[in-house]
Amino acid sequence: MSNPMHDKGEHYLTTPKAEPFLERLIFNNRAVILVLLTLLTLFLGYNAVKIQPDASFERMIPLEHPYIINMMERRHDLENLGNFVRIAVEVKEGDIFTQEYMETLRQLTDEVFYLNGVDRSGLKSLWTSNVRWVEVTEQGFQGGTVIPDNYDGSRQSLEQLRQNVLRSNEVGRLVSDNFKSTIVYAPLYEKDPETGEPLDYAEFSRQLEEKIRSKYEAQNPNIEIHIVGFAKKVGDLIEGIGAIAWFAGITIILTTLLLYWYSRCIAGTLVPVFTSIIAVFWQLGTLKLLGYGLDPYSVLVPFLVFAIGISHGVQIVNAMAVEAAKGFDAVTAARLAFRALYIPGMLALISDAFGFLTLFFIEIDVIRDLAVAAGIGVAFVIITNLVLHVLIMSYVGISKGGVRHVQNHGEKQDRKWRLMSYFSHPGVAPISLLIAVIGLGLGLYYKQGLKVGDLDQGAPELREDSRYNQDNAFIIHNYSTSADVLVVMVETPEEQCTQYNVLHAMDALQWELQNTPGVQSTASLADVSKIVTKALNEGNWKWYAISRNQTIINASIREAPSGLINTDCSLTPVLVFLEDHKAETLRTVVERVEAFAAANSNEEHTFLLAAGNAGVEAATNEVISKAKDMMLLFVYGVVSLLCFVTFRSVRAVLCIVIPLGLTSVLCEAIMAVSGIGIKVATLPVIALGVGIGVDYGIYIYSKLEKYLLEGKTLQEAYFETLRSTGKAVVFTGVTLGIGVVTWIFSPIKFQADMGFLLFFMFLWNMVGAIWLLPALARFLLRPDRMVAKARAAK
Amino acid sequence: MVTSLMRKTLGVTCLGLSMACAAPAAMAVGDLLETPARPTELAPHRLLNDVAVAGDRIVAVGERGHIIYSDDQGQSWTQAQVPVSVTLTGVDFGTEREGWAVGHSGAVLHSSDAGATWELQLDGIQAARLAIASQEAEIADMERRIEDAPDAQKEDLEWALDDLTFALENMEADLDIGPVNPFLDVWFRDAEHGFVVGAYGMMFHTKDGGRTWQDWAPRLDNPQNFHLNAITEVAGGALVVVGEAGQIHVSVDGGETWERRESPYPGSLFGVLGTGRVNEILAFGLRGTLLESTDLGRSWTIVNTGSTATLNDGFADGDRIVLGGNGGAVLTSGNGGATFREYLREDRQGVMGVVPVASTRLLLVGEGGVKHADAQGKNLQ
Repeated sequence: MSNPMHDKGEHYLTTPKAEPFLERLIFNNRAVILVLLTLLTLFLGYNAVKIQPDASFERMIPLEHPYIINMMERRHDLENLGNFVRIAVEVKEGDIFTQEYMETLRQLTDEVFYLNGVDRSGLKSLWTSNVRWVEVTEQGFQGGTVIPDNYDGSRQSLEQLRQNVLRSNEVGRLVSDNFKSTIVYAPLYEKDPETGEPLDYAEFSRQLEEKIRSKYEAQNPNIEIHIVGFAKKVGDLIEGIGAIAWFAGITIILTTLLLYWYSRCIAGTLVPVFTSIIAVFWQLGTLKLLGYGLDPYSVLVPFLVFAIGISHGVQIVNAMAVEAAKGFDAVTAARLAFRALYIPGMLALISDAFGFLTLFFIEIDVIRDLAVAAGIGVAFVIITNLVLHVLIMSYVGISKGGVRHVQNHGEKQDRKWRLMSYFSHPGVAPISLLIAVIGLGLGLYYKQGLKVGDLDQGAPELREDSRYNQDNAFIIHNYSTSADVLVVMVETPEEQCTQYNVLHAMDALQWELQNTPGVQSTASLADVSKIVTKALNEGNWKWYAISRNQTIINASIREAPSGLINTDCSLTPVLVFLEDHKAETLRTVVERVEAFAAANSNEEHTFLLAAGNAGVEAATNEVISKAKDMMLLFVYGVVSLLCFVTFRSVRAVLCIVIPLGLTSVLCEAIMAVSGIGIKVATLPVIALGVGIGVDYGIYIYSKLEKYLLEGKTLQEAYFETLRSTGKAVVFTGVTLGIGVVTWIFSPIKFQADMGFLLFFMFLWNMVGAIWLLPALARFLLRPDRMVAKARAAK
Repeated sequence: MVTSLMRKTLGVTCLGLSMACAAPAAMAVGDLLETPARPTELAPHRLLNDVAVAGDRIVAVGERGHIIYSDDQGQSWTQAQVPVSVTLTGVDFGTEREGWAVGHSGAVLHSSDAGATWELQLDGIQAARLAIASQEAEIADMERRIEDAPDAQKEDLEWALDDLTFALENMEADLDIGPVNPFLDVWFRDAEHGFVVGAYGMMFHTKDGGRTWQDWAPRLDNPQNFHLNAITEVAGGALVVVGEAGQIHVSVDGGETWERRESPYPGSLFGVLGTGRVNEILAFGLRGTLLESTDLGRSWTIVNTGSTATLNDGFADGDRIVLGGNGGAVLTSGNGGATFREYLREDRQGVMGVVPVASTRLLLVGEGGVKHADAQGKNLQ
């Protein structure tokens, strides 16, 4: 294919000769376009500020996975199982059997009773009348409330209380094994039964903090309060989203300082920052108009958009300063900068967008939302950066200081670039390659330890040392419960869920699972039936079995907790408590259940996976594992194709893509070493890292090719490349890194993981482009043949 | 953590073959009487209902068809091969090698290798058929008696016949459901002669090592078919059965005929022991109740144990008596039962059986499996 630019040594992409149509359109209507963009900004900005945090549970899970479909179809029969908070009231000195402690507990129980959203009939604490002790006597049962009827706080009634607690069966459940804390258990309504309003998790969580934790810890300094439960976790997550505002501020300040250091020009600093913020407003406003809220994942997109806006804006400022240094006025400099950059700029941004699009392979709504949000953001950056930014700059121009900075720094910079150009030297390049191969080898070695899923204890969304996870650890440690629950749903024909065959099969499944590594314990209606059958036979353990007699079964489950039987008795759950939520644990357990379900689902009972947080995680892990290879294949495919279309050379593609591949491998090794699993939050990092990381390669290679075609030697050509674009590329890497590095301090664990990994990928891809690309070029490129080919094409 | 420690110290092996511990492929769930107990390292840590001694070997039985045995005083356990998965409730050895275990679904298991392998000798269906057959015979007999009886007695006998017929209907209804009722205890004199007792007054007797069984329930005065909870032999050769509603039955002719004794206590009795002295009986049950008789149950004294826990089982060895109960209760007496000391174990788990090991220590079985304890019942380790 003939290209008239090549013989002049100019790359057709970077230096189109003529004024393109777009340039004329934009520069001949500067005022009109600015007014239109201002109006658009006002409109979208107005919508942007109205955007609300939104931590919808459903959007974070893979809704198309069969487990989740099963769960969602039956969620109304299951809902009371999962949604509760447990408030552990711990006494610091002494034990719970004191008048002060019991008084605090009584007041606290009353306070929880009146919280909006609490299902009062299910509220349990030592002070509620549904907590009883029972004893078998010659006449049958005798029992009463755990708090003695005539309780008056005296030694005697406290001693009575202690006895009642011991025979109440609540030790390990409502009362900790060491008698230093008790639990107030509050089931919650998903929807307010009177108003039908959904529970406001953020508000509920705030009330727990204010009306319960702060109030009672202040009132009784001898107690400490620990709160866990889905509602509290979601509340903390929403709170965490708020912290992001601080990071935004810090990021903007850091970027601004860096930009000024780079350009030494007030306008060249403020205008890119301003236009990038505009892009963020457009993006947020559009999201709001499309009906989205800000979930913990998409809240990060504005940072990316801002960083991408800045990093491409820098190219414009750089180009304008160079043109201004040649003596052009502001408008002409802007025009020339636009002409030089609009094609590679668009190309780079489009490749970013393609990187985001690969996220659609992950069948989880938050991730797809993230892709949409980022896609919209990048599309807007094309306009704010290449149109708005350029137009504003065409009015304000680069300051004299900025121009001087460009002129003065030439020589000093050159020495540095001269040194770095040795990366392409025939003596240095093999060493670089050797280092890269060693790095690759180490990466591949350590990457073997890479795990799917969440690896830490407690709520994986939050940090291990977060208040929530500390509370969670306290409760796990002091009570016989696990926070990781897999629920197997057992479906039967209506009114058949308590049949002997159903309970017997459930019991068999439970035994299978108790013999599975990673399972701590199990619970179901079968256990209730056994334990009550035993109780009905005067507490004799020899009767601890499911009776074959249906009348006895029916008597045994009359008082079963409502969550274990749905309204028409067609669904009953088996709860499987796991030791942790590591991917292997989940997979082993799920495989056992599936094998059991396949062998034992019939017209009497069907075993369905899965509900419970561990069920959701198992489904998520499966979706992630499946999506991972597809996504990698696609993102590298797209990036390679894009490079090939641009440079028409497989060797060029290799020069650009190999450094990216090395970064990806190292990133996975780092994940393995630092205990970050592949999960909903970290998988997108790979796509984002590669999609955005390829920009560096495109900028470097396009210049390198240009200088090679001019007939320069490789090292000389690379020196010129660094001189013209090296600074911008390094700067781009640094700004992108800064854009995400603040996330590391997020209270939300996965945001911190994303920030850390993206920071690494953005910086390391830049290093790869500057250090490894020229070394690869030494081995892969044949400058003489390239020139000959270009000549022949002419 | 605790469990894994215990597993290590107990040194469980699955039939001595590690392969047997591997997870079997998932199979369709079958009837518990037809499903062999799963080899599992959990067996010593799950509910065990009874423990017996066969020579130097300790054998314990429990839920899910678990039978485990130890040849080193309970330090390590091996799981036996058992053809059923029902909850087992009782175990006894007639000789050092010949043993029987009983449980739910009317299961009676027999081992002739000191508890290593077991076979099913009787199940709830067969047992129910035997009981129905003997009930039918009794009804036929009653009908004959009514025909022959003088008119004055006829009415009473007709009432008795009604009761028998009603009981028969119940048995037949139960049989329609399947093998519903559990045996609760077993006792064997030798390799041939033994008894099993259970729910709703069930009692069977064998004279040929379990090859054939006879319904023995009609020989006890238990018209309301109360549960029979335990059976044992006391020094002197008398047999004693105790059960629901304070029942105490004694036989002095090897079990051929039985006499019901008056009980000073109307609540359920769950266990019975001989003290080792001729004709002395200890019977115990609900709410810390302990009854003592020195004359084969003709007269009783109520011993004040100071406990309110249900007492399940134990042993008497000279002046030393140890009883285990619900809620972690362990009662010890060093003076032949004159006074008891109660220790409530920290885990508050039910104790179903106690055997003495290593002179002063105790091996407890019950809720949560096997536990090593000191002489008072306090956990060791």
